Amino acid sequence: MDMMTFDLHILLSIVGVAFVGGVIGLDRTAVGQIMVSQPIVASPITGWMLGDVTTGLVIGAVLELIWVLDIPVGTFVPANSTIGAVSATAIAVLGSRGSAPLDRIGFSILLTTGMVPVTMMVDTLVRKWNSRLAETAVAASGEDAERKLAQAHLSGLLIFFLKSFVLYLVFLPVGLGAVFLFGRLPEKFHSAMTLFVKLLPLLGAAIVARKLSVRTLDRFLLAGFLTAAVFTLLFHVPALVVAAMVISAGFLGARFSER
Amino acid sequence: MNGEDREIGVSDLRRVFWRSFLIQTSWSFDRMQSLGFAYAIQPVLKKLYPNLSEYESRLKFHMEYFNTQPYLATFILGAVARLEQERASSNDRSPDVSGIKTALMAPLGALGDSFFWGSLKPLSAVVATALLLAGAWWAPIVFLVVYNIVHIGLRAAALVNGYKSAGDAVAFNARYNFTRIAKQFKAISLFVVGGILGSLPAWRPEFRLAVPYPGIVTAGMGFSLTLVLVAVLRRAGSPVKLMLGLAALCLALAYGGVIE
Repeated sequence: MDMMTFDLHILLSIVGVAFVGGVIGLDRTAVGQIMVSQPIVASPITGWMLGDVTTGLVIGAVLELIWVLDIPVGTFVPANSTIGAVSATAIAVLGSRGSAPLDRIGFSILLTTGMVPVTMMVDTLVRKWNSRLAETAVAASGEDAERKLAQAHLSGLLIFFLKSFVLYLVFLPVGLGAVFLFGRLPEKFHSAMTLFVKLLPLLGAAIVARKLSVRTLDRFLLAGFLTAAVFTLLFHVPALVVAAMVISAGFLGARFSER
Repeated sequence: MNGEDREIGVSDLRRVFWRSFLIQTSWSFDRMQSLGFAYAIQPVLKKLYPNLSEYESRLKFHMEYFNTQPYLATFILGAVARLEQERASSNDRSPDVSGIKTALMAPLGALGDSFFWGSLKPLSAVVATALLLAGAWWAPIVFLVVYNIVHIGLRAAALVNGYKSAGDAVAFNARYNFTRIAKQFKAISLFVVGGILGSLPAWRPEFRLAVPYPGIVTAGMGFSLTLVLVAVLRRAGSPVKLMLGLAALCLALAYGGVIE
């Protein structure tokens, strides 16, 4: 992408992504938690919106396992993986004007990883600001109490939406500018970013294994590895069939191991 | 108004159920889900307390500090609806509504965090990721379906159980055996993660490593690197640090001439 193409189409796309990303982001805290805000869903939606669902699927697959166990317990505010996933997808697609190559996907992911502390800080500020909503509702009396409660409580929707919307409006142009500069970096940098994307699923697998088991080499992890390796490499069973077999075997194995 | 007029019906519980999806809409550090709880229970209070001052007083009462796992909040909402019904339907104002909220929110919070965030969510994610890496574009739909069938089903069941049992969380936990199922889900997740690594040479083209080794060596290398990363994570590595470290390693390999 060159700077000349930072045109109306890009601007409208940025606003569109910011709006849809803001709505999707409500699922994280404010509404439902039906998990549309998870990278594996949010990224493909963004990619589909911008005409490159494959990039969305790649970024969703990479980021899902990395952030899935970063969970909101008590007052802990986890990293905003939704903003990371949506921004990375939008930056990669808009910065490529077509199907995003792997190096740009890798660079976009790296870029949005750097944004994580900012999103956590803003999420924390919003939660502090929300205390005012409770004060408004508690102060109301008489017939006003019910109306003020609903008004104050539902204002949270707008606050959480605006937080994400504004962050996207800041992050996306900055990211697109960075992708423009990335295009001028040496070829070795591009090769490194391609490898980065290919290794990220291993990091995701490591994070899940680390959080779900106290052992470095868990017996279920090893059993799953051997099962898939045998069927994939020895019997050359198609990948999707292996995935289905591993999932089924996992269910059976977990039940069997209890006895 | 006599006691019979103050029965809570299915439609009232249904309204509480839908409103429970908004329990965290105004989440704040000091009061957490307090407004969300009051907002969710409001239709029940309105039905039970026709007297405006008493209704207002009960509504304010439920704006006290509250925090639990958002899905299992429906259990407490059900229990509180039942206790408020008992309170409103007799002259007995003794049911300890505040006590039951305080007693239930911490244990249900821990139970829900461990079950939903710590086991159901990673299970749905690893299943979907395994399918996605195998080339299934519809994996995100599988993720949403697997997760939400369990989540929404239990959310509704918790509301009904909370109401019927008036807050007997022990019976609720015994019935659904969350701890045992969570343990199973974690084992399955680990198995599937292992499976993802075992089928590394057959991942969708974007993720395939261009190395001149047989598939078994590539899979073995991927598995070994993952175990190294697990060991590094045990020494206080965070995802962000590891991602930056991995990027630095890739740059070092590129500039060191190891990759082209």
